[in-house]
Amino acid sequence: MSVFPAILIGLAMGVVFGFAFEKARVFEPGMIVGQMQLRNFTMLKVFLTAVATGAVVLAALQGFGLIKLAPKATFYAADMLGGLVLGAGITLAGACPGTILAQIGAGYRDAWFTLAGGLAGAIAFSYAEPALTPLLFTGGPGRLTFMDLTGLPYPLLAAGFAVVLVGALVALEKWRPWRDDLGADVDGDFAAAPEAPVSARLKAAE
Amino acid sequence: MRMCSLRQKAWSPYVAGIIIGLLQVPAFLLISTALGASSSYVTVGGYIAALFDPAVVGIDYVAKHMAATGKNWWQVALVVGVALGAFLSMKLSGAKRQAISPIWGRALGTHSPVARYAMAFGAGFLMLFGARVADGCTSGHGLSGMAQMAVSSTIAVAFMFVGGIATAVLVLRRI
Repeated sequence: MSVFPAILIGLAMGVVFGFAFEKARVFEPGMIVGQMQLRNFTMLKVFLTAVATGAVVLAALQGFGLIKLAPKATFYAADMLGGLVLGAGITLAGACPGTILAQIGAGYRDAWFTLAGGLAGAIAFSYAEPALTPLLFTGGPGRLTFMDLTGLPYPLLAAGFAVVLVGALVALEKWRPWRDDLGADVDGDFAAAPEAPVSARLKAAE
Repeated sequence: MRMCSLRQKAWSPYVAGIIIGLLQVPAFLLISTALGASSSYVTVGGYIAALFDPAVVGIDYVAKHMAATGKNWWQVALVVGVALGAFLSMKLSGAKRQAISPIWGRALGTHSPVARYAMAFGAGFLMLFGARVADGCTSGHGLSGMAQMAVSSTIAVAFMFVGGIATAVLVLRRI
């Protein structure tokens, strides 16, 4: 597709994406840090629901021969190291690369610094990429998928995966209703909420 | 109250998750790609770097991301749209955010905006450097790669949570 229509489609899809991020509250630093401290499960719920939905629609599209999948190549060391550093960054930023922009749209000023840091990180990687390639991005099993490992067709595996995720989400919701994770101002902040006495007690015990 | 009015401050995470998952349909059918966000930082970063160092376009990786293809600019437009969509949703619900989320004062043990800004910059750097090493972020690996049953994405997401949880427990204070 040529650039101009692709930009219009991107903008339209981005508005929907950002709207969903904002309504789900998953762009809030309180939700991200809370998730990583295993005290708030909003991020996991949005994430797993989106993965399950994606798996179902892609299974249908691929099953009817309408699309070709594009899984990324596996480089074990790069996937592990990159994942670790990405995760540390997500916690310290209270955002993901996509939700930084939602934070900017919602008015968080620190997100501009996260964005600048993100651009600097991408530029630094760009300069390092030729040197990193022989270390991290060579060899490996290629675009390895669980279809290769099991011999099962994608629509079947994806549908089965979606069923497992839905089961996990039902259990998660039963254990922890989503409204309980919203916080003082739908921002995952529990400073003034019933959590306070707990932290006060912890402080007294220190 | 209606379930999902545009003026509501919060929707069920399941409704929002379904909407996000459905975005894979136009991504695959119209752009022949999956949802992702972190490549756009290389595209925009490449243009910024080229202002100071025109030789940067000599790096194949950079040239590939700066090329005037629909896929590259679709993703840049997507993340710009994310900011617009969040702004719109915020205006409709009437929610207001402070300059810095109140959780940071507790997580960091300081209310200094300068400390938070410096940390945000460093965190953004780590996040995108890590995402480029892993060849994807929460969107490209998390949403799209896992839905496609990719082994690379499953490893990257598992280690993303390991790194994220370890940092949240060891570096930050309890929020």
